[in-house]
Amino acid sequence: MGPDHPFKRKMNVSKLPKNNSFIYLFIIILLVAAFWIGRTTSGPDLKPHVRNIFNQAAFFEDTQGIYSVFSEQNELIGWAAAGSASGYGGPLLVIAGIDTAGKVAGASVVEHKETPVFFRMVKTTDFFQSLTGRLFDEIDYDSREIVGATGATCSADAVVEGIRRAVAKVAGDKFNVHVPVRERPLKFGFLEIAIIVLFSLGIAAHHIGKSFREWLRWTGQIAGLLIIGFWENSPINIAKISAFLSGYFPDLHSDLYWYLLIGGFVLTILIYGKSVYCSNICPFGAAQRCIGLIGGANAKLPVWSVRLMNGLRNFFVFAAVTAALITAQPGSASYEPFAAIFALKGTLFQWFLLFIVLIASLIINRPWCHFFCPMRTCERVLQIVRQKTINFRKLYGKKIK
Amino acid sequence: MEFFNSGFFWFLEGIILCIVIIGFNAWMKDHAIPMPFWKWTAFVIWIVLFGFNVAFIGTSIGENEINAAIKGGILFGLITVISGAGLWRLIKIGTRSPVQAKNERE
Repeated sequence: MGPDHPFKRKMNVSKLPKNNSFIYLFIIILLVAAFWIGRTTSGPDLKPHVRNIFNQAAFFEDTQGIYSVFSEQNELIGWAAAGSASGYGGPLLVIAGIDTAGKVAGASVVEHKETPVFFRMVKTTDFFQSLTGRLFDEIDYDSREIVGATGATCSADAVVEGIRRAVAKVAGDKFNVHVPVRERPLKFGFLEIAIIVLFSLGIAAHHIGKSFREWLRWTGQIAGLLIIGFWENSPINIAKISAFLSGYFPDLHSDLYWYLLIGGFVLTILIYGKSVYCSNICPFGAAQRCIGLIGGANAKLPVWSVRLMNGLRNFFVFAAVTAALITAQPGSASYEPFAAIFALKGTLFQWFLLFIVLIASLIINRPWCHFFCPMRTCERVLQIVRQKTINFRKLYGKKIK
Repeated sequence: MEFFNSGFFWFLEGIILCIVIIGFNAWMKDHAIPMPFWKWTAFVIWIVLFGFNVAFIGTSIGENEINAAIKGGILFGLITVISGAGLWRLIKIGTRSPVQAKNERE
Protein backbone atom coordinates (compact mmCIF):
# COMPACT_ATOMS: atom_id res chain seq x y z
CA MET A 1 0.00 0.00 0.00
CA GLY A 2 1.28 3.44 -0.85
CA PRO A 3 1.18 6.24 1.71
CA ASP A 4 -1.49 8.06 -0.28
CA HIS A 5 -4.31 5.63 0.40
CA PRO A 6 -7.25 7.01 2.34
CA PHE A 7 -7.33 4.41 5.11
CA LYS A 8 -7.34 5.21 8.79
CA ARG A 9 -5.00 2.41 9.67
CA LYS A 10 -2.81 0.18 7.60
CA MET A 11 -4.74 -2.52 5.85
CA ASN A 12 -2.97 -5.19 3.88
CA VAL A 13 -5.32 -5.35 0.93
CA SER A 14 -2.63 -6.94 -1.24
CA LYS A 15 -2.96 -10.08 0.85
CA LEU A 16 -5.23 -12.36 -1.10
CA PRO A 17 -8.26 -13.79 0.64
CA LYS A 18 -8.02 -17.53 1.15
CA ASN A 19 -10.56 -20.22 0.29
CA ASN A 20 -12.30 -18.03 -2.26
CA SER A 21 -11.86 -20.50 -5.09
CA PHE A 22 -15.57 -21.33 -5.17
CA ILE A 23 -16.52 -17.67 -5.46
CA TYR A 24 -14.04 -17.18 -8.32
CA LEU A 25 -15.33 -20.32 -10.03
CA PHE A 26 -18.93 -19.13 -9.61
CA ILE A 27 -18.08 -15.71 -11.10
CA ILE A 28 -16.27 -17.30 -14.05
CA ILE A 29 -19.17 -19.68 -14.75
CA LEU A 30 -21.66 -16.79 -14.60
CA LEU A 31 -19.60 -14.66 -16.99
CA VAL A 32 -19.14 -17.55 -19.43
CA ALA A 33 -22.90 -18.23 -19.29
CA ALA A 34 -23.61 -14.53 -19.91
CA PHE A 35 -21.20 -14.57 -22.86
CA TRP A 36 -22.89 -17.67 -24.28
CA ILE A 37 -26.38 -16.17 -23.89
CA GLY A 38 -25.24 -12.95 -25.58
CA ARG A 39 -23.66 -14.79 -28.47
CA THR A 40 -26.43 -17.29 -29.13
CA THR A 41 -29.24 -14.73 -29.22
CA SER A 42 -30.53 -14.60 -32.81
CA GLY A 43 -29.54 -11.70 -35.08
CA PRO A 44 -31.79 -8.78 -35.96
CA ASP A 45 -34.68 -9.00 -38.40
CA LEU A 46 -33.83 -6.77 -41.37
CA LYS A 47 -37.29 -6.75 -42.96
CA PRO A 48 -38.81 -3.91 -40.87
CA HIS A 49 -35.78 -1.77 -41.75
CA VAL A 50 -36.17 -2.55 -45.46
CA ARG A 51 -39.84 -1.56 -45.16
CA ASN A 52 -38.83 1.75 -43.55
CA ILE A 53 -36.49 2.53 -46.45
CA PHE A 54 -38.94 1.51 -49.21
CA ASN A 55 -42.40 2.77 -48.31
CA GLN A 56 -44.12 0.90 -51.15
CA ALA A 57 -42.42 -2.38 -50.32
CA ALA A 58 -44.88 -5.27 -50.36
CA PHE A 59 -42.63 -8.32 -50.39
CA PHE A 60 -38.97 -9.24 -50.57
CA GLU A 61 -36.72 -11.83 -52.06
CA ASP A 62 -33.55 -12.60 -50.15
CA THR A 63 -30.72 -13.79 -52.37
CA GLN A 64 -27.32 -14.13 -50.71
CA GLY A 65 -27.82 -11.26 -48.32
CA ILE A 66 -29.36 -8.87 -50.86
CA TYR A 67 -33.07 -8.14 -50.55
CA SER A 68 -34.86 -7.52 -53.84
CA VAL A 69 -37.81 -5.31 -52.96
CA PHE A 70 -41.11 -5.51 -54.86
CA SER A 71 -44.21 -3.32 -54.83
CA GLU A 72 -47.80 -4.56 -54.58
CA GLN A 73 -47.95 -4.63 -58.38
CA ASN A 74 -45.06 -7.11 -58.32
CA GLU A 75 -42.75 -4.47 -59.69
CA LEU A 76 -39.08 -4.40 -58.64
CA ILE A 77 -38.46 -1.09 -56.83
CA GLY A 78 -34.93 -1.61 -55.48
CA TRP A 79 -32.53 -3.60 -53.43
CA ALA A 80 -31.32 -3.47 -49.85
CA ALA A 81 -28.28 -4.98 -48.17
CA ALA A 82 -26.64 -4.86 -44.78
CA GLY A 83 -23.04 -3.93 -44.09
CA SER A 84 -21.13 -4.38 -40.88
CA ALA A 85 -18.12 -2.46 -39.56
CA SER A 86 -16.25 -2.29 -36.30
CA GLY A 87 -17.43 0.52 -34.02
CA TYR A 88 -16.39 1.63 -30.53
CA GLY A 89 -18.15 -1.13 -28.58
CA GLY A 90 -18.25 -3.83 -31.27
CA PRO A 91 -19.72 -4.50 -34.69
CA LEU A 92 -22.23 -2.01 -36.05
CA LEU A 93 -24.76 -3.20 -38.64
CA VAL A 94 -26.13 -0.76 -41.19
CA ILE A 95 -28.71 -1.33 -43.91
CA ALA A 96 -28.78 0.66 -47.15
CA GLY A 97 -31.38 0.65 -49.92
CA ILE A 98 -30.71 1.43 -53.59
CA ASP A 99 -33.55 2.00 -56.07
CA THR A 100 -33.54 0.68 -59.63
CA ALA A 101 -32.07 3.98 -60.90
CA GLY A 102 -29.01 3.48 -58.69
CA LYS A 103 -30.00 6.18 -56.20
CA VAL A 104 -29.84 5.71 -52.45
CA ALA A 105 -33.37 5.21 -51.12
CA GLY A 106 -32.29 5.37 -47.50
CA ALA A 107 -30.00 3.97 -44.85
CA SER A 108 -30.29 3.23 -41.17
CA VAL A 109 -28.44 1.54 -38.34
CA VAL A 110 -29.91 -1.88 -37.58
CA GLU A 111 -27.80 -2.91 -34.62
CA HIS A 112 -24.96 -1.38 -32.67
CA LYS A 113 -22.96 -1.83 -29.48
CA GLU A 114 -21.95 1.78 -29.00
CA THR A 115 -22.13 3.88 -25.86
CA PRO A 116 -25.80 5.09 -25.90
CA VAL A 117 -25.10 8.80 -25.32
CA PHE A 118 -22.73 9.00 -28.30
CA PHE A 119 -24.83 6.83 -30.57
CA ARG A 120 -27.91 8.98 -29.99
CA MET A 121 -25.96 11.95 -31.33
CA VAL A 122 -24.78 10.02 -34.41
CA LYS A 123 -28.32 8.82 -35.10
CA THR A 124 -29.79 12.31 -34.99
CA THR A 125 -27.34 13.92 -37.45
CA ASP A 126 -28.48 14.89 -40.95
CA PHE A 127 -26.05 12.41 -42.47
CA PHE A 128 -28.62 9.70 -43.21
CA GLN A 129 -31.03 12.16 -44.86
CA SER A 130 -28.17 13.66 -46.89
CA LEU A 131 -27.54 10.27 -48.54
CA THR A 132 -31.07 9.88 -49.85
CA GLY A 133 -31.48 10.56 -53.56
CA ARG A 134 -27.77 10.45 -54.35
CA LEU A 135 -26.37 8.06 -56.95
CA PHE A 136 -24.45 5.32 -55.17
CA ASP A 137 -21.21 6.17 -57.02
CA GLU A 138 -21.50 9.83 -55.95
CA ILE A 139 -21.26 9.15 -52.23
CA ASP A 140 -17.95 10.36 -50.85
CA TYR A 141 -18.06 8.17 -47.70
CA ASP A 142 -16.67 10.85 -45.44
CA SER A 143 -17.35 10.54 -41.73
CA ARG A 144 -16.10 14.04 -40.92
CA GLU A 145 -19.60 15.47 -41.28
CA ILE A 146 -20.86 13.22 -38.44
CA VAL A 147 -17.68 13.58 -36.39
CA GLY A 148 -17.97 17.37 -36.62
CA ALA A 149 -21.49 17.27 -35.25
CA THR A 150 -20.97 14.62 -32.57
CA GLY A 151 -17.31 14.04 -31.76
CA ALA A 152 -17.95 10.28 -31.95
CA THR A 153 -15.15 9.37 -34.36
CA CYS A 154 -15.29 5.57 -33.96
CA SER A 155 -19.07 5.30 -34.31
CA ALA A 156 -19.13 7.71 -37.28
CA ASP A 157 -16.39 5.78 -39.11
CA ALA A 158 -18.28 2.52 -38.51
CA VAL A 159 -21.56 3.97 -39.83
CA VAL A 160 -19.90 5.25 -43.01
CA GLU A 161 -17.92 2.03 -43.55
CA GLY A 162 -21.07 -0.06 -42.96
CA ILE A 163 -22.96 1.96 -45.58
CA ARG A 164 -20.07 1.60 -48.02
CA ARG A 165 -20.07 -2.19 -47.58
CA ALA A 166 -23.86 -2.41 -47.93
CA VAL A 167 -23.85 -0.26 -51.09
CA ALA A 168 -20.87 -2.20 -52.48
CA LYS A 169 -22.86 -5.44 -52.23
CA VAL A 170 -25.78 -4.08 -54.26
CA ALA A 171 -23.58 -2.13 -56.71
CA GLY A 172 -21.40 -5.15 -57.45
CA ASP A 173 -24.24 -7.65 -57.75
CA LYS A 174 -26.95 -5.61 -59.48
CA PHE A 175 -25.12 -2.84 -61.37
CA ASN A 176 -21.83 -4.63 -61.93
CA VAL A 177 -20.00 -1.60 -60.53
CA HIS A 178 -17.09 -2.10 -58.18
CA VAL A 179 -17.17 0.17 -55.12
CA PRO A 180 -13.59 0.06 -53.84
CA VAL A 181 -13.21 -1.13 -50.26
CA ARG A 182 -11.30 1.37 -48.20
CA GLU A 183 -7.85 0.09 -47.37
CA ARG A 184 -7.17 0.87 -43.75
CA PRO A 185 -3.47 1.64 -43.29
CA LEU A 186 -1.92 0.89 -39.93
CA LYS A 187 -2.57 3.98 -37.84
CA PHE A 188 0.62 4.65 -35.95
CA GLY A 189 1.01 8.32 -35.18
CA PHE A 190 1.49 10.73 -32.32
CA LEU A 191 -1.19 9.13 -30.16
CA GLU A 192 0.26 5.62 -30.36
CA ILE A 193 3.79 6.91 -29.74
CA ALA A 194 2.48 8.91 -26.78
CA ILE A 195 0.94 5.75 -25.25
CA ILE A 196 4.24 3.87 -25.60
CA VAL A 197 6.17 6.78 -24.10
CA LEU A 198 3.69 7.11 -21.21
CA PHE A 199 3.92 3.41 -20.35
CA SER A 200 7.73 3.60 -20.63
CA LEU A 201 7.71 6.53 -18.19
CA GLY A 202 5.45 4.55 -15.85
CA ILE A 203 7.71 1.50 -15.97
CA ALA A 204 10.76 3.70 -15.42
CA ALA A 205 9.01 5.22 -12.40
CA HIS A 206 8.54 1.69 -11.04
CA HIS A 207 12.30 1.05 -11.10
CA ILE A 208 13.60 4.47 -10.19
CA GLY A 209 14.26 6.16 -6.82
CA LYS A 210 11.41 7.64 -4.77
CA SER A 211 12.18 11.33 -5.34
CA PHE A 212 12.37 11.00 -9.11
CA ARG A 213 9.36 8.65 -9.16
CA GLU A 214 6.99 11.39 -8.04
CA TRP A 215 8.29 13.68 -10.75
CA LEU A 216 7.79 10.98 -13.40
CA ARG A 217 4.29 10.25 -12.09
CA TRP A 218 3.26 13.87 -12.40
CA THR A 219 4.77 14.16 -15.89
CA GLY A 220 2.95 11.03 -17.07
CA GLN A 221 -0.34 11.99 -15.48
CA ILE A 222 -0.40 15.54 -16.81
CA ALA A 223 0.49 14.23 -20.28
CA GLY A 224 -2.23 11.55 -19.90
CA LEU A 225 -4.74 14.20 -18.79
CA LEU A 226 -4.04 16.34 -21.84
CA ILE A 227 -3.57 13.62 -24.48
CA ILE A 228 -5.78 10.68 -23.44
CA GLY A 229 -8.29 12.89 -21.65
CA PHE A 230 -8.93 16.25 -23.24
CA TRP A 231 -7.51 15.56 -26.70
CA GLU A 232 -8.59 11.98 -27.44
CA ASN A 233 -11.23 11.46 -24.72
CA SER A 234 -10.47 7.74 -24.68
CA PRO A 235 -9.39 6.51 -21.25
CA ILE A 236 -9.78 2.78 -20.58
CA ASN A 237 -13.34 2.14 -19.48
CA ILE A 238 -15.61 -0.76 -18.64
CA ALA A 239 -17.30 -0.57 -22.08
CA LYS A 240 -14.02 -1.28 -23.85
CA ILE A 241 -13.11 -4.08 -21.43
CA SER A 242 -16.61 -5.58 -21.92
CA ALA A 243 -16.17 -5.31 -25.71
CA PHE A 244 -12.92 -7.30 -25.48
CA LEU A 245 -14.57 -9.85 -23.16
CA SER A 246 -17.50 -10.16 -25.60
CA GLY A 247 -15.01 -11.02 -28.34
CA TYR A 248 -15.51 -7.76 -30.25
CA PHE A 249 -11.94 -6.92 -31.03
CA PRO A 250 -11.46 -3.59 -32.81
CA ASP A 251 -9.64 -3.38 -36.12
CA LEU A 252 -5.91 -3.57 -35.43
CA HIS A 253 -5.11 -1.18 -38.27
CA SER A 254 -7.32 1.69 -37.15
CA ASP A 255 -7.46 0.95 -33.41
CA LEU A 256 -3.89 0.06 -32.51
CA TYR A 257 -4.32 2.69 -29.76
CA TRP A 258 -6.70 0.41 -27.82
CA TYR A 259 -4.43 -2.61 -28.12
CA LEU A 260 -1.51 -0.57 -26.77
CA LEU A 261 -3.56 0.92 -23.95
CA ILE A 262 -5.30 -2.25 -22.76
CA GLY A 263 -2.27 -4.43 -23.53
CA GLY A 264 -0.10 -2.11 -21.45
CA PHE A 265 -2.64 -2.08 -18.62
CA VAL A 266 -2.84 -5.89 -18.47
CA LEU A 267 0.84 -6.65 -19.01
CA THR A 268 2.16 -4.20 -16.42
CA ILE A 269 -0.17 -5.69 -13.79
CA LEU A 270 0.86 -9.24 -14.68
CA ILE A 271 4.56 -8.33 -14.60
CA TYR A 272 4.77 -5.82 -11.73
CA GLY A 273 1.64 -6.72 -9.78
CA LYS A 274 0.39 -3.14 -10.01
CA SER A 275 -1.27 -1.03 -12.66
CA VAL A 276 1.13 1.44 -14.27
CA TYR A 277 -1.83 2.90 -16.16
CA CYS A 278 -3.77 3.74 -12.98
CA SER A 279 -0.89 5.28 -11.07
CA ASN A 280 0.97 7.01 -13.91
CA ILE A 281 -1.25 7.57 -16.94
CA CYS A 282 -4.98 7.65 -16.15
CA PRO A 283 -6.33 11.12 -17.06
CA PHE A 284 -9.20 11.02 -14.57
CA GLY A 285 -6.76 10.01 -11.82
CA ALA A 286 -4.66 13.02 -12.80
CA ALA A 287 -7.69 15.32 -12.63
CA GLN A 288 -8.45 14.05 -9.11
CA ARG A 289 -4.83 14.48 -8.02
CA CYS A 290 -4.79 18.07 -9.29
CA ILE A 291 -8.00 18.84 -7.38
CA GLY A 292 -6.57 17.01 -4.36
CA LEU A 293 -3.61 19.38 -4.43
CA ILE A 294 -6.01 22.31 -4.15
CA GLY A 295 -8.10 20.87 -1.34
CA GLY A 296 -5.42 18.94 0.54
CA ALA A 297 -7.15 15.53 0.13
CA ASN A 298 -5.96 14.29 3.49
CA ALA A 299 -9.16 12.93 5.02
CA LYS A 300 -8.83 9.47 6.55
CA LEU A 301 -11.71 7.06 6.23
CA PRO A 302 -12.51 4.16 8.56
CA VAL A 303 -11.43 0.79 7.21
CA TRP A 304 -14.97 -0.63 7.30
CA SER A 305 -16.24 2.07 4.93
CA VAL A 306 -13.39 1.41 2.50
CA ARG A 307 -14.15 -2.32 2.58
CA LEU A 308 -17.85 -1.66 2.05
CA MET A 309 -17.20 0.64 -0.92
CA ASN A 310 -14.77 -1.85 -2.45
CA GLY A 311 -17.31 -4.64 -2.11
CA LEU A 312 -20.06 -2.52 -3.65
CA ARG A 313 -17.80 -1.47 -6.52
CA ASN A 314 -16.84 -5.07 -7.29
CA PHE A 315 -20.49 -6.09 -7.24
CA PHE A 316 -21.59 -3.29 -9.57
CA VAL A 317 -18.72 -3.92 -11.99
CA PHE A 318 -19.59 -7.62 -12.06
CA ALA A 319 -23.27 -6.77 -12.65
CA ALA A 320 -22.40 -4.27 -15.40
CA VAL A 321 -20.10 -6.72 -17.22
CA THR A 322 -22.63 -9.55 -16.92
CA ALA A 323 -25.39 -7.30 -18.31
CA ALA A 324 -23.10 -6.21 -21.15
CA LEU A 325 -22.28 -9.83 -22.01
CA ILE A 326 -25.90 -11.02 -21.86
CA THR A 327 -27.22 -8.17 -24.00
CA ALA A 328 -24.08 -8.16 -26.19
CA GLN A 329 -24.06 -4.38 -25.70
CA PRO A 330 -20.67 -3.48 -24.19
CA GLY A 331 -21.45 0.23 -24.46
CA SER A 332 -24.34 -0.12 -22.03
CA ALA A 333 -21.96 -1.12 -19.21
CA SER A 334 -20.25 2.24 -19.17
CA TYR A 335 -21.07 4.40 -16.15
CA GLU A 336 -17.85 6.35 -15.88
CA PRO A 337 -18.10 10.15 -16.04
CA PHE A 338 -15.13 10.45 -18.42
CA ALA A 339 -17.11 11.85 -21.36
CA ALA A 340 -18.73 14.44 -19.06
CA ILE A 341 -15.40 15.89 -17.94
CA PHE A 342 -13.35 15.46 -21.13
CA ALA A 343 -15.97 16.06 -23.83
CA LEU A 344 -18.76 17.76 -21.80
CA LYS A 345 -21.12 14.98 -22.94
CA GLY A 346 -22.87 12.46 -20.78
CA THR A 347 -26.07 11.36 -19.11
CA LEU A 348 -27.43 13.22 -16.08
CA PHE A 349 -26.25 10.33 -13.90
CA GLN A 350 -22.71 10.75 -15.21
CA TRP A 351 -22.83 14.52 -14.58
CA PHE A 352 -23.98 14.01 -10.98
CA LEU A 353 -21.33 11.33 -10.46
CA LEU A 354 -18.69 13.69 -11.83
CA PHE A 355 -19.80 16.43 -9.43
CA ILE A 356 -19.74 14.15 -6.39
CA VAL A 357 -16.38 12.57 -7.27
CA LEU A 358 -14.58 15.82 -8.04
CA ILE A 359 -15.89 17.55 -4.92
CA ALA A 360 -14.89 14.50 -2.86
CA SER A 361 -11.42 14.72 -4.49
CA LEU A 362 -10.88 17.92 -2.54
CA ILE A 363 -10.88 16.03 0.76
CA ILE A 364 -10.22 12.37 -0.14
CA ASN A 365 -7.27 11.19 -2.20
CA ARG A 366 -8.51 9.96 -5.63
CA PRO A 367 -11.95 8.75 -4.47
CA TRP A 368 -12.97 7.50 -7.92
CA CYS A 369 -9.87 5.31 -8.19
CA HIS A 370 -10.38 3.82 -4.74
CA PHE A 371 -14.15 3.43 -4.57
CA PHE A 372 -15.77 3.56 -8.00
CA CYS A 373 -13.34 2.79 -10.81
CA PRO A 374 -14.05 -0.52 -12.58
CA MET A 375 -10.38 -0.66 -13.56
CA ARG A 376 -9.59 -1.15 -9.89
CA THR A 377 -11.65 -4.35 -9.96
CA CYS A 378 -9.92 -5.42 -13.18
CA GLU A 379 -6.58 -4.73 -11.50
CA ARG A 380 -7.56 -6.92 -8.53
CA VAL A 381 -8.67 -9.74 -10.84
CA LEU A 382 -5.37 -9.62 -12.72
CA GLN A 383 -3.46 -9.47 -9.42
CA ILE A 384 -5.28 -12.61 -8.30
CA VAL A 385 -4.39 -14.32 -11.61
CA ARG A 386 -0.78 -13.25 -11.15
CA GLN A 387 -0.65 -14.43 -7.55
CA LYS A 388 -2.31 -17.77 -8.39
CA THR A 389 0.22 -18.31 -11.21
CA ILE A 390 3.14 -17.54 -8.89
CA ASN A 391 1.73 -19.86 -6.22
CA PHE A 392 1.17 -22.58 -8.81
CA ARG A 393 4.73 -22.28 -10.09
CA LYS A 394 6.11 -22.32 -6.55
CA LEU A 395 4.06 -25.37 -5.64
CA TYR A 396 4.36 -27.49 -8.75
CA GLY A 397 7.62 -26.09 -10.20
CA LYS A 398 9.59 -27.79 -7.44
CA LYS A 399 7.75 -31.08 -7.88
CA ILE A 400 8.41 -31.11 -11.62
CA LYS A 401 12.11 -30.51 -11.01
CA MET B 1 -40.65 35.35 -10.81
CA GLU B 2 -41.57 39.05 -10.70
CA PHE B 3 -39.92 39.30 -7.31
CA PHE B 4 -36.51 38.51 -8.83
CA ASN B 5 -36.90 41.33 -11.37
CA SER B 6 -37.97 43.90 -8.78
CA GLY B 7 -35.77 46.58 -7.26
CA PHE B 8 -36.59 45.23 -3.81
CA PHE B 9 -34.83 41.95 -4.62
CA TRP B 10 -31.64 43.81 -5.59
CA PHE B 11 -31.94 45.99 -2.48
CA LEU B 12 -32.17 42.82 -0.34
CA GLU B 13 -29.28 41.22 -2.21
CA GLY B 14 -27.10 44.29 -1.61
CA ILE B 15 -27.88 44.21 2.13
CA ILE B 16 -27.12 40.48 2.35
CA LEU B 17 -23.84 40.93 0.45
CA CYS B 18 -22.79 43.75 2.80
CA ILE B 19 -23.61 41.61 5.84
CA VAL B 20 -21.64 38.69 4.38
CA ILE B 21 -18.57 40.84 3.68
CA ILE B 22 -18.66 42.61 7.08
CA GLY B 23 -19.20 39.28 8.84
CA PHE B 24 -16.40 37.68 6.83
CA ASN B 25 -14.03 40.52 7.77
CA ALA B 26 -14.92 40.23 11.46
CA TRP B 27 -14.49 36.45 11.40
CA MET B 28 -11.08 36.83 9.74
CA LYS B 29 -9.98 39.24 12.47
CA ASP B 30 -11.22 36.92 15.22
CA HIS B 31 -9.24 34.04 13.73
CA ALA B 32 -6.14 36.16 13.17
CA ILE B 33 -6.14 35.69 9.42
CA PRO B 34 -4.52 38.66 7.70
CA MET B 35 -6.43 40.04 4.71
CA PRO B 36 -4.19 42.12 2.43
CA PHE B 37 -5.61 43.67 -0.73
CA TRP B 38 -4.74 40.69 -3.00
CA LYS B 39 -6.78 38.36 -0.80
CA TRP B 40 -9.73 40.75 -0.94
CA THR B 41 -9.35 40.96 -4.74
CA ALA B 42 -9.34 37.16 -5.05
CA PHE B 43 -12.35 36.97 -2.71
CA VAL B 44 -14.31 39.51 -4.76
CA ILE B 45 -13.48 37.65 -7.99
CA TRP B 46 -14.72 34.45 -6.40
CA ILE B 47 -17.95 36.15 -5.25
CA VAL B 48 -18.49 37.29 -8.86
CA LEU B 49 -17.88 33.71 -10.06
CA PHE B 50 -20.35 32.40 -7.47
CA GLY B 51 -22.89 35.02 -8.54
CA PHE B 52 -22.41 34.06 -12.18
CA ASN B 53 -23.06 30.42 -11.28
CA VAL B 54 -26.29 31.28 -9.45
CA ALA B 55 -27.33 33.60 -12.29
CA PHE B 56 -26.64 30.91 -14.90
CA ILE B 57 -28.79 28.36 -13.09
CA GLY B 58 -31.56 30.89 -12.42
CA THR B 59 -31.61 32.19 -16.01
CA SER B 60 -31.59 28.68 -17.47
CA ILE B 61 -34.51 27.65 -15.26
CA GLY B 62 -36.29 30.88 -16.23
CA GLU B 63 -35.82 30.01 -19.90
CA ASN B 64 -37.18 26.52 -19.16
CA GLU B 65 -33.83 24.96 -20.06
CA ILE B 66 -33.67 22.52 -17.17
CA ASN B 67 -31.03 20.35 -18.81
CA ALA B 68 -28.75 23.35 -19.31
CA ALA B 69 -29.41 24.45 -15.72
CA ILE B 70 -28.37 21.05 -14.35
CA LYS B 71 -25.34 20.44 -16.58
CA GLY B 72 -24.14 24.05 -16.54
CA GLY B 73 -24.81 24.26 -12.81
CA ILE B 74 -22.74 21.14 -12.21
CA LEU B 75 -19.90 22.34 -14.44
CA PHE B 76 -19.72 25.91 -13.13
CA GLY B 77 -20.58 24.66 -9.63
CA LEU B 78 -17.52 22.41 -9.77
CA ILE B 79 -15.33 25.29 -10.89
CA THR B 80 -16.78 27.49 -8.14
CA VAL B 81 -16.39 24.95 -5.32
CA ILE B 82 -12.90 23.85 -6.38
CA SER B 83 -11.68 27.42 -6.85
CA GLY B 84 -13.35 28.25 -3.50
CA ALA B 85 -11.35 25.50 -1.80
CA GLY B 86 -8.17 26.81 -3.43
CA LEU B 87 -9.03 30.36 -2.40
CA TRP B 88 -9.61 29.26 1.19
CA ARG B 89 -6.13 27.72 1.32
CA LEU B 90 -4.71 30.95 -0.10
CA ILE B 91 -6.61 33.06 2.42
CA LYS B 92 -5.23 31.01 5.29
CA ILE B 93 -1.67 31.95 4.31
CA GLY B 94 -0.01 33.94 7.09
CA THR B 95 -2.50 32.88 9.79
CA ARG B 96 -1.21 33.59 13.29
CA SER B 97 -2.15 31.78 16.45
CA PRO B 98 -5.07 33.46 18.32
CA VAL B 99 -2.81 34.08 21.37
CA GLN B 100 -0.20 35.79 19.24
CA ALA B 101 -2.87 37.90 17.55
CA LYS B 102 -4.36 38.88 20.93
CA ASN B 103 -0.94 39.91 22.24
CA GLU B 104 -0.34 42.01 19.13
CA ARG B 105 -3.69 43.76 19.59
CA GLU B 106 -2.90 44.53 23.23
